[in-house]
Amino acid sequence: MIDIQNVSKSYGAVPVLQDCSLSVKRGEVVVVCGPSGSGKSTLIKCVNGLEPYQSGSIKVAGVEVGARHTNLPKLRAKIGMVFQSFELYPHLCALENVMLAQIHVLRRSRDEARTRAMALLTRVGLAERAHQMPADLSGGQQQRVAIARTLALDPDAILLDEPTSALDPEMVSEVLDVITALARDGMTMMVVTHEMGFARRVADRVIFMDQGRVVEDAAAETFFAAPASARAREFLSKILAH
Amino acid sequence: MHDVIFVNRDFLAAGLLATLQISAISIVCGTLIGAVVALLRYLRVPFAARFCALYVGLIQGAPLLVVLLFCYFALPALFGYKTTAYWATVLSFSVFIGAYLAEDIRAGLQSVSPKLTQAALACGLTMPQVLRLVVLPIGVRSVIPPIISQYVRLIKFTSVASIISVQELTGNALLVNARVFEPATILSFVAIVYLIVCQAVSLFGRWLNARFAVRT
Amino acid sequence: MNYSFDWSALWVHRDLIISGFVTTVELASISLVLATVLGIVIGTCGAVGSRGLRVLAIGWVELIRSVPLLIHMYIWYMALAVLRLPGFACAVLALSIYSSAYVTEIVRAGIENLPAGQAKAALASGLTQFQTLRLVIYPQVLRRILPSLASVFSQLIKDSSLASVIAVADITYEAGALDGMTFRTFEVYAMTLVLYLVLVSIVNQLLGALLSSSMRSSRPSPRELRDA
Repeated sequence: MIDIQNVSKSYGAVPVLQDCSLSVKRGEVVVVCGPSGSGKSTLIKCVNGLEPYQSGSIKVAGVEVGARHTNLPKLRAKIGMVFQSFELYPHLCALENVMLAQIHVLRRSRDEARTRAMALLTRVGLAERAHQMPADLSGGQQQRVAIARTLALDPDAILLDEPTSALDPEMVSEVLDVITALARDGMTMMVVTHEMGFARRVADRVIFMDQGRVVEDAAAETFFAAPASARAREFLSKILAH
Repeated sequence: MHDVIFVNRDFLAAGLLATLQISAISIVCGTLIGAVVALLRYLRVPFAARFCALYVGLIQGAPLLVVLLFCYFALPALFGYKTTAYWATVLSFSVFIGAYLAEDIRAGLQSVSPKLTQAALACGLTMPQVLRLVVLPIGVRSVIPPIISQYVRLIKFTSVASIISVQELTGNALLVNARVFEPATILSFVAIVYLIVCQAVSLFGRWLNARFAVRT
Repeated sequence: MNYSFDWSALWVHRDLIISGFVTTVELASISLVLATVLGIVIGTCGAVGSRGLRVLAIGWVELIRSVPLLIHMYIWYMALAVLRLPGFACAVLALSIYSSAYVTEIVRAGIENLPAGQAKAALASGLTQFQTLRLVIYPQVLRRILPSLASVFSQLIKDSSLASVIAVADITYEAGALDGMTFRTFEVYAMTLVLYLVLVSIVNQLLGALLSSSMRSSRPSPRELRDA
């Protein structure tokens, strides 16, 4: 589904990603973790073309992301993204947030978009708040709307960039529950996260990155039971300590 | 003493109407110019953005009266066309306010966080769609107060058109005064009318902002 | 386009252009000083005065700002002609009062946005109201509002062009005179535009230099004072 091969990226002289390779199969949930500055957010943004990369190749459903003639909007309609800071459209209510891309990217009629949007908001548990503005929603509620917004395009896969890092602790579980339900329904996902408990429950595979490199790529049970690299062991011990 | 106003009320009312007409046309044209210039500069369109920056810098360093006289005397002389004072006024006012609105709108566009733009692109929207559906609506709605205050400024500026004999409120009031010579009454009346119009527009602007401002 | 340019006509009458330029600078400078003084006084009243004073200050600002500058000029020149003030004095009065309304708003907002702790700390240490203003509030406020004041000065220079209407011999007035004399309409008004542009640029540069030198001064910032 997502195939990353030897991707490297630098900002000027500073290398950010160095020869990264990983793949995500259809229906798989892959968690990417690592210390700050390891390049995990940058890597995930390369997958849907939000960040350019200098060398290597990223293929999404067979389409090369970095090729000049690739229709990026079309590609992005098939891969959804959830951001750390939610990024809901502040001038539209929750329902309209979920409707916007349906109408303008998929060209659905307003009525169809509205029906589907209501269904999705119900699925994430926010049907009563459909007409509220993002400013009136809590962080956890905004993130759930953001997830509904991503689902509105019926994507083949979803990228999640630290979806709970900006949330107050008591709201983290409501969002993780929604993501877990998505995983159980068979959605292909690539998740950058620090939530190791969640990763343990949901991930099929775990990728550990450090300083722009993929250091470890293992099945979830293997990784959590006995990480192969010292760096990963050190990271896990710090994270799981609290 | 107050008979002066009552007796000439039709003439003065016609002047007020002209003031409002000139203001309305200049506001619409100026806003269009401002929006286009702001977009060109925001998108850093090569060559066009540089030209727009020059336009804004030139107009912002010039007094309105001089721009007006330039449009009424100098340009027709240069290009050999005839123009009426009315249209020279509308042209110069639109061009003038356009430069200031362009800066205000540009600030609004730039206040839209790039991460929001990224999120919109991530949904599969093309850049033109993102501009039309996300950046412009949010950007413009976040600068309603500065935009309204430019509009109020323009309404006050219409008084300058009296200098080239446009028959707006100030011009008509001065004509009445030339006949009856009651400057204190007439000017007080004119001042009060401008006060009411400006305050009304400001109030409208406050309502507009309360209703449409984007809360983050 | 059948226009034949002749810029020498401007050089021939350069004495008029220069005198107009000087008049504009004089007019703007004097008005700026008066506007600033008046603005600081009323602005301070608006910020720290009694409720009645505050209402009056805000009302005054709204009244002055809602009336076009041209009407201000005519009022002094015609309605108050009983005072028999020469055109220049009328222009100075109109410009000063009009611009002072903007300075008032800037000063008032500047004082109100200063952290409340500043004044409380000063008063608690035994300073009088007046000393607090002079030694603690004003220095900080003035530094913060300098950019806004710079833009008021720029605007004042441009607004001064309206004085030409009440027969003050500034740049715009002389431009009209020159046009009548030489019929070089385009050259005259192009030059007028350039003169104002140059004047405004010089002022902006000067004030920009002043600003950055005041930023670099070693006096502590309000935040440092507060956190100390």
